[in-house]
Amino acid sequence: MINFLRKMEGKTQSPPAAGIVEVIWAWIGSFTGIAAVGLIHFYLLDNTASIMLIGSFGASAVLIYGVIRSPLAQPRNLMGGHIISALIGVTVFKILGDIQWLAAAAAVSTAIALMHITKTLHPPGGATALIAVIGGESVHRLGYVYVLMPVGLGALIMLAVALLVNNISSKRSYPEFWL
Amino acid sequence: MSIRSRNVPVPDISEEDVIEAMKDIQGYMDITPADFREIYRTAYRHAVSRLLKTLKAAEIMTQNVHVLYADTPLNEAAALLADKGITGTPVTDGSNHVIGVISEKDFLRRMGAGKSDSFMQITARLITNGGCLTDNIKAKTVGEIMSSPAVTITEDVSVGTLSALMSSRNINRLPVVDADGGLKGIVTRSDIINSFGVFGGFDD
Repeated sequence: MINFLRKMEGKTQSPPAAGIVEVIWAWIGSFTGIAAVGLIHFYLLDNTASIMLIGSFGASAVLIYGVIRSPLAQPRNLMGGHIISALIGVTVFKILGDIQWLAAAAAVSTAIALMHITKTLHPPGGATALIAVIGGESVHRLGYVYVLMPVGLGALIMLAVALLVNNISSKRSYPEFWL
Repeated sequence: MSIRSRNVPVPDISEEDVIEAMKDIQGYMDITPADFREIYRTAYRHAVSRLLKTLKAAEIMTQNVHVLYADTPLNEAAALLADKGITGTPVTDGSNHVIGVISEKDFLRRMGAGKSDSFMQITARLITNGGCLTDNIKAKTVGEIMSSPAVTITEDVSVGTLSALMSSRNINRLPVVDADGGLKGIVTRSDIINSFGVFGGFDD
C-alpha cells in the first residue's frame, strides 16, 4: 500500500519551457489552422446542416502547431487517430447510445486502445470519440459521415496548414515521420 | 559470460545535463528528463553489447608479433622481453605455428620453484634463506618453462568473447592464429583497453 502511494510522489521535473520564438510560431500556426477550418464552418457551410469545427480540433492544434516534434503530433497520428476514434465513437453510439455514460466511457477507452494498437495515438482522438457520443443532434444525425466530415476533412485541412507553417522557420521542420 | 551479467558502467549524465541539452535544442521536447536518462542508459548498454559482439580480434590485434623459439636460452629470452618492453610472447616452431606462450608469469613460477609465487614472495624468501633469484632457471631454454599448449583465438572472435577468455583463464595475451594454426597477430589486455576508445565520444 505504501509503495502504491509512493509511486505518486513524482520522480523528475518538468522539461524546460519553450522559447519565445517557438511560442510565436505555435500561435501563428494554430491561429491559421483553426481559422481555416472555422471559416469553412461559419461561412461556407453557413446555411447547411454540416459542421466543420469540433472541439477536438482545438486539442489537435496544440500538438501539430505547438509540439511539432512529438510522436503524438505527426501526420500518421493526427489523421489515423482522428479517423479511428471517429469510427469507434459512431459505432459505440449506435450500439450503446441509449445509456449515455456507458457509451461515452466505452467510446473513449476503446478509441484509446485502438489508437495504441495501430500506433496512431493522438490525444484529441479521445475527444473526437467522445463528441460522437455527446455531440448532440448535429453530430448524431451524420452517422458515419462524421468520420469524413468534419473529422477527416477538418484534420486534413489542419495538416496542410501545419506542413506549410511549421516549415517556414529554418529551425523547425515537420513532420518527423509519415509512416 | 554475457555482457548483461556484468554491470557495464555508464557515464552518468545528470538531470541537469539533460535539461541543459533540452534548452540547447529548439522546440518543446515532449519527454521528461528522467525518461530521457532511462533511455540513454539502456541505449548505452545496448551499444556496448553490440560493439563487444561486432568488434573482432582482427580489428584490435597487433600484427608484428615478437616471437621466441623453444630452444632460445632464457637469458636471451629475458633480454628480448626487456628490450621490447613487453611481458610475454608466443613461442613458435620453424613454420610459424604457435606451440606455447612464455611470459613473466612463467619466469616467476620457475623462480619460485613451482609454487605460484609473486616476485615479492620469492624475494622475501630469498632474503630470509639466502640464495639467488635465478637458481632454478639458469641454463634453461624457453621450451622448458613456457606454457603449452597455448590458448589461441582466430581473427573472427569477438572482443566480448576474447576478454571473457582472458578473464576466465587469467591470462594477458591471446595469440591470433589462422585456420592452420599459423601466427597472424596477438591481442593483449592493453589492446582491449585501447579499443574502449570506441565507446566514448558520441559526436553526432
